[in-house]
Amino acid sequence: MTDPLAATVTVKPPRWQRRITRNPLAILGALLIGSFLFIVALAPFIAPYRAETQNLRTTYVPPGLGWSLRGPDNQLGLWVSEATRSPVGGVSVNEAEQYPVRLFVRGQSYTWLFGLIRSDVHLFGVDGPVRFHLLGTDEQGRDLFSRIVYGAWISLFIGLISVGIGVGIGAPVGAISGFYGGWLDLVIQRVIDTMLAFPGILLAIVLVATFGTGLTNLMIAVGIAAIPIYARILRGSVMAIKNREFIEAAGALGRPKFSTLFRHVLPNAMAPLIVQSSLQMAIAILFAAGLGFLGLGARPPQPEWGLMLARGREYLAVAPHVATFPGLAIILVVLGFNLLGDSLRDALDPRSK
Amino acid sequence: MLQYTIRRLLVAIPSILGVLIIVFAMVRLAPGDPAVLLAGEFADAETVERMRERFGLNERIEVQFVRFLGGVVQGDLGRSTRTNRLVTDDLRQFFPNTLELALAAIIFALIFGIGLGVAAALYRNTWIDAFAMILALIGVSMPVFWFGLLAILYFSVDLGWFPVAGRGTFMHLVLPAITLGVSSTGIIARMTRSSMLEILSQDYIRTARAKGSPGRTVVFKHALRNGLIPVITVSGLEFGSLMAGAVITETVFTWPGIGRMLVQSILSRDYPSVQGAVLLIAISFIFINLFVDLIYGFVDPRIRYD
Repeated sequence: MTDPLAATVTVKPPRWQRRITRNPLAILGALLIGSFLFIVALAPFIAPYRAETQNLRTTYVPPGLGWSLRGPDNQLGLWVSEATRSPVGGVSVNEAEQYPVRLFVRGQSYTWLFGLIRSDVHLFGVDGPVRFHLLGTDEQGRDLFSRIVYGAWISLFIGLISVGIGVGIGAPVGAISGFYGGWLDLVIQRVIDTMLAFPGILLAIVLVATFGTGLTNLMIAVGIAAIPIYARILRGSVMAIKNREFIEAAGALGRPKFSTLFRHVLPNAMAPLIVQSSLQMAIAILFAAGLGFLGLGARPPQPEWGLMLARGREYLAVAPHVATFPGLAIILVVLGFNLLGDSLRDALDPRSK
Repeated sequence: MLQYTIRRLLVAIPSILGVLIIVFAMVRLAPGDPAVLLAGEFADAETVERMRERFGLNERIEVQFVRFLGGVVQGDLGRSTRTNRLVTDDLRQFFPNTLELALAAIIFALIFGIGLGVAAALYRNTWIDAFAMILALIGVSMPVFWFGLLAILYFSVDLGWFPVAGRGTFMHLVLPAITLGVSSTGIIARMTRSSMLEILSQDYIRTARAKGSPGRTVVFKHALRNGLIPVITVSGLEFGSLMAGAVITETVFTWPGIGRMLVQSILSRDYPSVQGAVLLIAISFIFINLFVDLIYGFVDPRIRYD
C-alpha cells in the first residue's frame, strides 16, 4: 500500500530552475559551456600533441588528407598515412603505410593537475610513427586541434579575470553609489559616465595602448572596460531594492546601514549580476580575441584563438582551415555564454512568463 | 524641446572633459618619458627637448593639461611620429572613410535587424521566430574578423564577386559593411522583437483590430511606429560602437579609416596619432549618443518631461 502522505510532500524545485531546465536554448547553452569546461579541465589528455610541437615537414595539411576509412587489409576504422609538404611540390601522401587511429593511445607525456599527475595516455591518437591532425596543421606544422584545446584555457582565463575585475570593482562601487546616494553617487556616476563615453572595445584598446600589449594587460583592460557596466547594473538594482519595506524594517530594527546593505540588499540584487556575468564572459572572450587578432593581445606562440586566426589570415587562400576552426571555437563558446545568460535572465525575471 | 536639448548638451560636457582627461593621461601614464613618446622612439635629443618645451612637460600637471586643451581646441594634435604628417590631416583624411563604412553598416543592420525582429514577433513561437532569433544570436556571438575573413575567402577569392580589400567603388563597400553590421543586426533584431511583442499586446492594438483595421495597417502603422522607439536608441548606441568596432573590420579589409590608423599607430607606438584617433572616435561616440537622445525626445514626447 502506498503512503497517502507521500504524494503531498513532494518538493518542487524553485520556479527559475524549472524554467531553465525546460528551455531547450538554456540546455544547449549549458551543454556548450559544459563541454568547454570539460575541454579546459582535461586539455592535455584531450589534445593529442602539445600546443607548441612543430613539424616543418607537415605545414598547412588540411583535415582529411591521408585519411582512409579502410586499412591495409580492408579493416574498418580510421587510418592515416603521412602527409608531407615539400618546399616546391606541395603536399604528398605516403599511401603505402597506413596506421590506425585509436582511443586511449600513448603519446607525448604531460603533467596534469599542477604536476600531480604524470601520464602519456591521450584520448585519441595514432598507433604508429605518423601523426593524426583532426583539424589539420598550421603554418609551422602544429596540430590545430591541440592548439585550440590548449587555447580554451586562455579564453576561459581571460573571461574569468575580466569578469572578476568587473564584478570586484564595478559591483561594490555601483552598490555603494546606489545605496548611499548623495554627492558620492554624483561623483561616481560622472566617472562611470566618462568610462561609458568610450565604447567598450575602445576603452580596452586605450588601456592596452597605454600600458603595453600582451595577454596580462589585455585581461586587465577588458576587465576595466566591464567595470562601468557592473556599476550601472548594481546601482540600478540596489536603488530599486533599498526603498522596499523589508529594508525599512531592517533599519527600524536598528540594523546599521552598512550591514543592511550586505545582509539584505545585495543578496536580492544578485540576479542581474549573475546574468550579466554570463553575457560578460561572452563579451570578454570576443574582445580578447579581437585584440589578439589586431596584435594587441596574446603573443606568438601562445595558442590564443584570436591570434591563431590572425596568423591564419595570412594563408587564407592556401589553408583556409587555419583561420576557420579557431573562429568556430570562439563562436561556440561565446554562443554558449550568451544562451546561458539569456535563459538565466528569462528565468530569473519575475515578470517574464 | 529647447530646454531638453540644452540639458542634454550640458550633460555631455563632463563626458567630453573625461575623454580629454583620459587621452591626456594616456601619454603620461605610459611607461617611458612622455617627451620621447610624443617625439617618437627614434627622434634625436633636440626633437625630444622641443616636445618637452612645446607640451610643457617640465611644468606642473595642470599647466600641461591646459596646454593640451589649448592644442585640441586649436586643432593642433601634433605630428605622427611614423609619417611626420599632421595628426589632424590624417584624421581629416581617414575619418570620412570610417563614417562611410559605419553608415553603410548601420543601414544594413537596420534593414535586416528590423526585418528579422518584426518577422519573429509576428510569427511568435513558430520556426520563423526560432530561426530569426538563432540567427540574431549567432550574429551577436560571432567574431567580426572571422566573419570578414570567411566572406573574403568565399565571395572575393573563390567567387570573385567583390574586391578583396581597399576602398573605392560600391563593391568595395559591400563586404566590410556587412561584416561590421552583423553584430548590430543581431542586437537590433532582438530589440525589435521584444519591443514589438510588448506593443502587440497593448490595448490600443486590440482596439485597432477590433474596429476592423486590416492586419497590415495595425502592424505597420500602429505597432511598428511605436515599437521602433526603443530600437532608435539601440541603433544609435550601435552606430556609436560601430565607429569603434570599425577598428577590427578596417584591419581585415585594409579599409583606410581611422580605426586602422589607430591600430597601426598603437603597434608602432605613434602616440600623437593614437591620441588623435582615440579622441575623435570617443567624441563622435558622445555626439552620436547625444544626437540619438535628441531624436528620442523628438519622437517620444514623454521622455522630455522626465
